[in-house]
Amino acid sequence: MAMSDRDDMSGLEVFFDAARAHAAEPSVALMARIDEDAQAVAAQTPAPPRPRRASLSTQLYRLLGGWPAVTGLATAAMAGVWLGISLPEGMLDGANESAYLIDVAPELAFDLAGGNF
Amino acid sequence: MPFDAMAEMPDEALLVLFANGDGAAARALNLRLTPRVMGHAYRLLGNHAEAEDVTQEAMLRLWKIAPEWRQDEAKVTTWLYRVVANLCIDLRRRARGVALESIPEPEDGRATAAEILQDAARAEALQEALDQLPDRQRQAVVLRHIEGLANPEIAEIMEITTEAVESLTARGKRALTAALSGRQEELGYGDER
Repeated sequence: MAMSDRDDMSGLEVFFDAARAHAAEPSVALMARIDEDAQAVAAQTPAPPRPRRASLSTQLYRLLGGWPAVTGLATAAMAGVWLGISLPEGMLDGANESAYLIDVAPELAFDLAGGNF
Repeated sequence: MPFDAMAEMPDEALLVLFANGDGAAARALNLRLTPRVMGHAYRLLGNHAEAEDVTQEAMLRLWKIAPEWRQDEAKVTTWLYRVVANLCIDLRRRARGVALESIPEPEDGRATAAEILQDAARAEALQEALDQLPDRQRQAVVLRHIEGLANPEIAEIMEITTEAVESLTARGKRALTAALSGRQEELGYGDER
């Protein structure tokens, strides 16, 4: 409490102490009425909607990181498909095949050519 | 949520629980807040029956505002003190405007300080003196010196500056001192100086 309060509180503090000690108490009937009011208000107020469980696809979508990650994945998948379909012909068209063919097992090719099987 | 677990929860959290349909939260808030609201209403009104009506109305408003309550907005008690004060001021204005003569005069044959507990007599004397103060002075003095709130919170409740709160409490205390000075001997006040 500020000093200015203390300066002129010497006379009144005893009355304020008494007032705090003798506060008006609510009756049991009042407490019951207030409880009833609370129940009545709660009954009139619609309960807030419960959060619904997300579907499996939505959970997967969130797990992956939302739309930026899903967009990246879709782009990568489409690029993979395009490469798988179009690259061999496109890359080899009009070029020297030997420049692109690497024989990783020449001995096996020899054996097969020699009919040693 | 178990009722016992609510003892440590702040009022604001209990109010949100009530808004979400938790009946136990309402009971916990009722037990915790109604005595404070009732005590405050009585100090502002000086009438037990009216204080009960105001208390019920203030708590009803609390239940109704619960779904819209934002936890970061204000303390529940700050909001309640403001609602109680507004209800009390409205009630007193209506009583003054409708029928001044219908307000009961102070009882003449009341028990003397020697017949009742001296402390209770002091509380009663203070209440009588508080009843004579202007509404805003009474509210500021009660909030500061009986409810024990700090000036900034009182300023928030009364929607005025802290300087205005200090001014109101200072004037209120001067008026109380003047009103009670004539009853010092009767109330045993002189023995304690």
